[in-house]
Amino acid sequence: MSFLKLDKVVKRYGSIPVIHGVSLEAKKGEFVVFVGPSGCGKSTLLRMIAGLEEISAGDVSIDGRVVTSVAPADREVSMVFQSYALYPHMSVFDNIAFGLKMAKMPADQIIGRVDEAASILQIGPLLSRKPRQLSGGQRQRVAIGRAIVRHPKLFLFDEPLSNLDAELRAQMRVEIARLHRNLGVTMVYVTHDQVEAMTLADRIVVLRAGQIEQVGSPSTLYDEPANRFVAGFIGSPKMNFIEARIGAVADNAITLSHPAFVGGTLTVERAPLRPVSPGAPVTVGLRPDNLTIGSPNPILNLTADFSENLGGHTQIYATATDAPQIAILANGRRAIVRGATLPVGLASGRVYLFDADGIAM
Amino acid sequence: MAATRIGSLLHALGLLIVLAFALFPFYWMVTSSLKDQTELLASPPVWFFHPTLSNYMDIFADTKVTTAVLNSLIVAVSTTLLSVILGTPAAYALARFEFRGKADLWFWFISNRMISPIVLALPVYLLSRQVGLLNTRLVLVLIYLTFNLPIVVWICTDQFRSIPPDLEQSARLEGASQFDIFWRIYLPLGLPGVAVSAIFAFIFSWNELLYALVLITSQGLKTAPVVATNFMSGYELPWGKIMATGTVIVLPVTVFAMLVSRHMIRGLTMGATK
Ligand SMILES: Nc1ncnc2c1ncn2[C@@H]1O[C@H](COP(=O)(O)OP(=O)(O)O)[C@@H](O)[C@H]1O
Ligand SMILES: [Mg+2]
Repeated sequence: MSFLKLDKVVKRYGSIPVIHGVSLEAKKGEFVVFVGPSGCGKSTLLRMIAGLEEISAGDVSIDGRVVTSVAPADREVSMVFQSYALYPHMSVFDNIAFGLKMAKMPADQIIGRVDEAASILQIGPLLSRKPRQLSGGQRQRVAIGRAIVRHPKLFLFDEPLSNLDAELRAQMRVEIARLHRNLGVTMVYVTHDQVEAMTLADRIVVLRAGQIEQVGSPSTLYDEPANRFVAGFIGSPKMNFIEARIGAVADNAITLSHPAFVGGTLTVERAPLRPVSPGAPVTVGLRPDNLTIGSPNPILNLTADFSENLGGHTQIYATATDAPQIAILANGRRAIVRGATLPVGLASGRVYLFDADGIAM
Repeated sequence: MAATRIGSLLHALGLLIVLAFALFPFYWMVTSSLKDQTELLASPPVWFFHPTLSNYMDIFADTKVTTAVLNSLIVAVSTTLLSVILGTPAAYALARFEFRGKADLWFWFISNRMISPIVLALPVYLLSRQVGLLNTRLVLVLIYLTFNLPIVVWICTDQFRSIPPDLEQSARLEGASQFDIFWRIYLPLGLPGVAVSAIFAFIFSWNELLYALVLITSQGLKTAPVVATNFMSGYELPWGKIMATGTVIVLPVTVFAMLVSRHMIRGLTMGATK
């Protein structure tokens, strides 16, 4: 039984469709992350679940109840806005208590609930302050406190960390993960940051232009991206793509041809997912962290361009004929000479193949 | 360093000149109200004199003046309250809702202020006579409301538009009704705009002379500006009394503006977002 269910939901602004019939199910207690480039409709979809955005077609159900035409307040969901949306003229206490007051909860119970939320988020000493007297991280905590105090069935987060600096972002990411573990509540989290998606999600929903590209666990999306878009979006540093052609196809091997490959060809020892014909264009995907320099059996012959020292790793950028830039993430510090020949091997992982339509093959 | 100091000195000097220019009439009015008739008419004017409250005693002994001030207070306070009570919900609707005819309504509000009041004086007079509202305080309240509402709606719409829409959505999600949202979020956060428009409404209603002169003829209902001009009839010009009445007229507006201006702090919405 799914806890949250989207059934072919559509959103149109006027006549312009923004969400094109999205169907999705989430189990109780699951942490679902919507990820995708800016403008792909993540917020719109989230706000449709919250009820803040009218649903043009399709249905949303929460906990077995169709809520498509239920008022936002009666859906028992809480939302943390990207802007936090704290009420600037109210104290932290009143901000957190607002929803409870609206629900006409007795004052002594409100105090108990606010104290509970404040202690979970360690904002007890801030309760009498106004939002403008708080730092960005503290405002973020208050916004989360306001969400948890109502004991909702479903938490919605819309890019809650995007206004924080890198260090706070990493810290709050851990706290949100901990919160999810401790509360055990279903959460839907929107981000355009694939690191947040990978680290927080039980399941990731990759969106593009109002459509789902793929749904799966972080490792599924990483290991078996359904298409080139997902492959390029999930994983950091980004996957390298080489536009090659199919050379020959045998029962259990595909030979690819491109000038960057050693000897002009590369043989992948597996059967294609679908029948392919020799000469067809194919996109070859190689993850930078799977590539290694100085391997005894190199697959790529590249020309070194420049490198970035990342401390424990070195990111090396190289080029080849018809391949403008290929990144390699190497362990340790490597000094490279610009223009030198760089034999690159595949240390781990796999060679990803995508057909002309970008579908994995 | 030296350049910026000279710059700020010049700046202060400029401000002083403007301030003196603005305040001198007030200074002259207040000091004149404290002079007796001989000092008042002295030429060249006397700068040092023995202040006397006799002008004030005279005008307050005259029930005409006290009744007029009371009438003005009743009319101005009612108008201001009604303008704010009726104008702010309208402003909220215009700021945050899409509805048919919104643009036309908006234009109508603005165009109300494009008409010179005197153009309407005669029609309004005839209309009020027909419906039997001549010589009532109500007719003044209604007329002033017509002139004040556009300003209140205008200023408050602008103010409400600057409130982040996320606040309203968050409140809605937390179970706030439409009225709660208006009352607990828009009004308190829009207070600077509400205060400014209330001051405008009060000053306009308090000072208005034309309609008060035309629509009210019975002595007991006249407002303060009308009574002040009444001194200027006959053969003498009692400057001291005129100035004292003027001072009494200016005082409530000043007090009101000072009380309300506390709420005109900027940056009230700071800390809502980011
Ligand atoms: N009120 C609106 N009217 C028209 N188009 C809108 C409106 N709100 C959002 N959109 C469009 O819907 C698309 C998805 O927006 P959004 O859900 O905010 O994207 P994301 O959160 O993924 O960045 C965008 O192309 C945006 O331009
Ligand atoms: Mg968004």
